[in-house]
Amino acid sequence: MTTSLLAYLLIPLFTAILIPFAAKTRRKLADVLANVTLLAGLLNISFILFNPANIALSFSNITEDGFALLMIFIIYLVALCVTFFSSYFIGDDSKVNRVPYYSLIMTSVSAMCGIVTTGDFFTLYIFVEVLAVTSFALIASDESGKGLEGAIKYFLLTFPASLFILFGIAFLMLTAGTFSFESIKIIIASGIPAGAVVFSLSLILLGFLIKSGVAPFHAWTPDAYEGAYAPVSAYLAGIVTKISGVYAVIKISIMLRLFEIKAYHTAEILMFLGMLSIAIGALAALRQKELKRMLAFSSISQIGYIILAAGMGTPLAILGAIFHLVNHATFKTVLFLNSASLEKGAGTSDMRKLGGMEHAMPWTSWTSIVALLATAGVPPLSGFWSKLIIIIALWDGGAKTYAVLALLFSVVTLAYFMVMQKKIFFGNPTEASRNAREVRPAMLAPVVVMCLLIAALGVFFPYIYSYLVETIAARIIL
Amino acid sequence: MINSFSMDWYFITLIFFAGMYCMLVSRNLLRQFIGLEIMSKSCLLGVISVGAKTGNLALAQALIITMIVIEVVVVAAGLSLLVKNYRITNSVDIWSLNNLRG
Amino acid sequence: MTYHTLLLILVAAAAVAAVMARNLLLSAIMLALVSVGASLVLFDFQAPWAAVFELSVCAGLITVLFVSAVSLIRHEESKVAENRARFYAMPLVMGIVAIAAWFYAVPYFESLEDWARLGGRANTLGTVIWDIRRFDLLGQVSILAAGVFVVNSMFPRRKKQK
Repeated sequence: MTTSLLAYLLIPLFTAILIPFAAKTRRKLADVLANVTLLAGLLNISFILFNPANIALSFSNITEDGFALLMIFIIYLVALCVTFFSSYFIGDDSKVNRVPYYSLIMTSVSAMCGIVTTGDFFTLYIFVEVLAVTSFALIASDESGKGLEGAIKYFLLTFPASLFILFGIAFLMLTAGTFSFESIKIIIASGIPAGAVVFSLSLILLGFLIKSGVAPFHAWTPDAYEGAYAPVSAYLAGIVTKISGVYAVIKISIMLRLFEIKAYHTAEILMFLGMLSIAIGALAALRQKELKRMLAFSSISQIGYIILAAGMGTPLAILGAIFHLVNHATFKTVLFLNSASLEKGAGTSDMRKLGGMEHAMPWTSWTSIVALLATAGVPPLSGFWSKLIIIIALWDGGAKTYAVLALLFSVVTLAYFMVMQKKIFFGNPTEASRNAREVRPAMLAPVVVMCLLIAALGVFFPYIYSYLVETIAARIIL
Repeated sequence: MINSFSMDWYFITLIFFAGMYCMLVSRNLLRQFIGLEIMSKSCLLGVISVGAKTGNLALAQALIITMIVIEVVVVAAGLSLLVKNYRITNSVDIWSLNNLRG
Repeated sequence: MTYHTLLLILVAAAAVAAVMARNLLLSAIMLALVSVGASLVLFDFQAPWAAVFELSVCAGLITVLFVSAVSLIRHEESKVAENRARFYAMPLVMGIVAIAAWFYAVPYFESLEDWARLGGRANTLGTVIWDIRRFDLLGQVSILAAGVFVVNSMFPRRKKQK
């Protein structure tokens, strides 16, 4: 556990406990408290990360774990966008109860920071459970039947997955006697028989793959994202699923790499599952009618790229996976927040009922275009670079078939997003879109900020790359 | 005769399977939760058995206490979800959860 | 050894009974029996603290939660048309699994045993909780907070309308 980062965990938890007392009479105070806490945390972490002195010293003055810092930055950024958006999205007469809503968001931010700062499998498990409990309550927060249905499906798949993680932890206790990442790495390096440790790590990996919604276990993802309360689905797709599942998969695949060829089969299966979810996600997204459901399948497909790269396991591939994780958090947040805006502005997010929305909602339309081009990997936006790194790493590592397939499916990504853009924003206005109006500027602000970030990550890619290499690759992976 | 550790894990496998069978077969949400509980009991027994085997009972007890706390919160949250769903749809059948398709 | 095995058989039998019980209330009570059995196993393993926790929290609190949930939805349970044949088939399936596990899983567990490494120092429970696993306590605090917020968001106190 990195105690220097403990404040990022404790302050949101404190705010979460404070909100019910402070906002007892004035409900609006809950919004203010949540936003201010997250903004303060975001400014703080940005000062650590983007200090110009860091670039001059080539990041040698960052002593903490660079991966954890990057993840904390993205957690706070997405959470701030979502809370800022939902403070305007929740109307005054809404069914959503503000106080527990913001308390739950703050608790889950705290849990996510716990996940990324811990160095121990059991503590990781505890915080993943906290995150799961809070997120299914958030899914059901608008008291609709759909939300509850999505929440129940999430519940029935995610908790059996935790049991796999627990069994893995039990076997790890038997064979390694410890749960901390560093000691496990030392034990692996000491050259004990690999079989049992690989078996226990694979059980843990299976649990986290179910939690991250990879292809054969993706049944819950579209239902939970579609049924969830609109800003919550941005929060879930943007950051929660990534941190509760994919983050741990990357961590474990860094460890599996130390086994060299002994964990060959596990890595092979991981790559296959990654490719399978790229394919299934992209092909299923082509024939969806509901926008949020289509975005959910697209999310499965993009997670597939991350898992594929993590399974490859070379330092370059892990870098690509981490960078794609960050990028995916930014552009999926934009797309889901835009679908929430559509629900607010036009009353529906069903693609059959919408058309010609670019006149009614120009800002939403243009930010969607930026995000979808980034997802599909069009230069010079950020998604292009991360996909490029992943494909180069796959080619170098000898997985040439996977590299070609990954390239082909990124064209499919462009195709289904173009179909979506054409149906919703271009073409002739339908009845629903004639009455639509652009949402208020305050609700557009998070989306615009995210789009600027997408462009900036792409344009200033050399700096980002040197950050990734200096703080992550040089210290953790190698 | 097989030794104690393998015997423990033999029964743990059986209990885990009983819970899993319940989750696969039943249509009633509450019965699914009961299956989940049985599975997590088998997990708990697994941790203590490993702790006894490696002579690390104190660590195993610390883990089990934490696991029990988590289990209570998960069950309470799951049952509140079930009751809420029951109030809205008047059903505890998982086959009625089919509004989301596509 | 024999006592230990008998306890495990009790737990397994109670688990099967909990799954097969036609009545949900009986199912919940059988689940409590599983918990009691597990807690006796913990006592047998010389783990009194965990056993007390298991007995009071799982056998007590969780059973209360389940029984109250059953009583809330009681008149509805008969409407769920369960396929009883699958439950009656359970002893057969369990028997097959038991025989298969005896021949396939047990040798695997015996081989796992060779990899066991003894965990060094003999610590007391207090040392482990407060010094080694201190960060877990923070996790416990946050999951309790999360539980309170979840229940609060599921069942909000309604303001009096009209």
